[in-house]
Amino acid sequence: MKAESFEKIVDHALADRQLQVALDRGTTRGVNARLLAMSETTDAQALRHQARLARERALNQLPELLEQLERNIIANGGHVLWARDAAELNQHVLTICRQHNVRRVVKGKSMVTEETALNHALEQEGIDVVESDLGEYIIQLAGETPSHIVFPMLHKTKEATAQLLHDKLGMPLTDQPEAMTRFVRGVMRQKYLQADLGISGVNFAIAETGTIATVENEGNNRLSISAPPVHVAVMGLEKVIATWEDYAVLVQLLARSATGQRMTVYNNLISGPRRPDEPDGPEAFYLIILDNGRSRILASEYAESLACIRCGACLNACPVYQNIGGHAYGWVYPGPIGSIITPLLRGPLTAPKLPYASSLCGACQAACPVEINIPDMLLKLRRDLVQAGDPSLGWRLGMKGWAVAFKSPMLYRLGGRIAGWLTRVLARGKGHLRWLPPPFNGWTAHRDFPAFGTPSFRERYLRRFKGQPHDSKKP
Amino acid sequence: MSAREDILTGLRAALAHSKPFPGAEPAAFQAVTRIDPGEDLVARFIAEVQRVKGEVHTAANDDEALDITKDLLTSHHVRRVVMWDEAHLPLRGVWALLERLGIERVYGDNASVAAAEAGITGADWALAATGTLVLSSGPGRPRMASLLPPLHIALLTEDRIIPRLEDYVAAQRAARFGVFRRSSNVTLITGSSRTSDIEMHPVFGVHGPLALHVVLIKNLD
Repeated sequence: MKAESFEKIVDHALADRQLQVALDRGTTRGVNARLLAMSETTDAQALRHQARLARERALNQLPELLEQLERNIIANGGHVLWARDAAELNQHVLTICRQHNVRRVVKGKSMVTEETALNHALEQEGIDVVESDLGEYIIQLAGETPSHIVFPMLHKTKEATAQLLHDKLGMPLTDQPEAMTRFVRGVMRQKYLQADLGISGVNFAIAETGTIATVENEGNNRLSISAPPVHVAVMGLEKVIATWEDYAVLVQLLARSATGQRMTVYNNLISGPRRPDEPDGPEAFYLIILDNGRSRILASEYAESLACIRCGACLNACPVYQNIGGHAYGWVYPGPIGSIITPLLRGPLTAPKLPYASSLCGACQAACPVEINIPDMLLKLRRDLVQAGDPSLGWRLGMKGWAVAFKSPMLYRLGGRIAGWLTRVLARGKGHLRWLPPPFNGWTAHRDFPAFGTPSFRERYLRRFKGQPHDSKKP
Repeated sequence: MSAREDILTGLRAALAHSKPFPGAEPAAFQAVTRIDPGEDLVARFIAEVQRVKGEVHTAANDDEALDITKDLLTSHHVRRVVMWDEAHLPLRGVWALLERLGIERVYGDNASVAAAEAGITGADWALAATGTLVLSSGPGRPRMASLLPPLHIALLTEDRIIPRLEDYVAAQRAARFGVFRRSSNVTLITGSSRTSDIEMHPVFGVHGPLALHVVLIKNLD
């Protein structure tokens, strides 16, 4: 991600009327669905804490759980491979493809494979890869990347989708999502049956039985991992959990937080390849466990970010995401959690703007089913950037001045009076300013600056609470 | 060092000095979905399945269940069926019914099974709180029967209905999780396949079955 391009991408996103329509429709539905689904549980707050503890216990004993997971999968006849980084994961998949003479691959949704750019690696070897999730398939047809963890084509309106399916596949034009969906179903059928290998992600890996769990609604994931003769599942190493009781609470909070469903339509629980006495299912099963920077995060003060179950609730809830969409975040993981994961996985200087792409309003934390303190980590990342990046002299002096003024009640009062007087004079009675001098012109480039009100908040506060305790200490 | 050793060593080093979450006590266990005390589980199951666009047909006895199955097959113009062996269905006579109707039972590879217009399965359990069917793969129980055909008919007796996912997990723990050793695939099915990818607008009938019909058979007292 080019650091200097973030503002440009955001400008472009804000001016893109189609994107704004799609974001408004999508995120509003997402927020409302989650609120309703969480409110009708036995006790939303207690459950969020229970889910949080399930994730914490797993992260506390990651090596033991991963070894237990591996033992159980091997006992069930599966294979387990480990990958230190993206290239090693892609190499494992290519080796498996060679062993099984694979020409055609069908894929269920997987953010980890987006992280490793697996499709590109396979295509370079002449292997045909088809995304089977409806949204991912349309994104693939368009040559784009997902803009949301759960709803990959959230940035697209139904009108744009219809046009794409018409142009690429000759679908008759329609504005009915039902008709578009039925059309894609027809196209995909043969692809499942012809595929030599199916790839899926992993939502949870239950160590105590060596079972991987995937969560989906369309049936594409189940088809991708049941129809082809080989199934390869890929997971970030943080996906392992200890027990089935943990699975029960996590999978239900995932569904309620992601889409507002009580359960997703299909919860697939895979414990190795088909047994000798079973009539169908893949003959070979591989699980690839990816690190790619996660063990480094575990050792840092950002370990909490590994608790994420990728529900996407923080994206929908975020006023910044609601306006700029997922692509502006520049990499695989968008939204508030992406602003943390991206710099952690790729290095803080690869995405220096992301920790600042937040008003720290806390909507993300309030929406998170595992109570991740996202605003706190964004602040810490800003601190890291300052320490690592040697900010400009002007920035440092500005911050120093700010600190001095805010530590002194006298200077604060004086500064407030001067700013109030100045803005009122410049506004010339209109209540707002169209233009401010540098360095404040960054604000007025996009919106008016309101003149300070009179009397000021501080004056009103003092008047109202005069004579009461704390009256002069806390302006 | 192998990748495995590298990664595990790195993780152990990360956790060596202190656990990232020292206060992670074992969680108090609480079920997610609300069920009122004394709530009728059968009625709840039926309501929940309907809520996710499945249909439930109640049958007072086996004969009624066969009649319902026959009506479903004929009204959907079914000519080929992929089904579980009768030993795994809670209803006798389905096989004979198909023969009477001249419906072919298809077996074998995915390409043949893909020609079936309906799949007939049983279910291990049903979860009342969410309208969920639990199906495990095994001999005589192909995965594809509940997956490839456009119509999925699940035969179920009322005594298989348990309150919630948490109760299913508790039962499996009591049975030492044998099902996850025997079955490569356990599937929890809640309604017919759907997507919300286009503007988060729900559409039913995507890659999995377009329609789910549960034939719910009363148990003999």
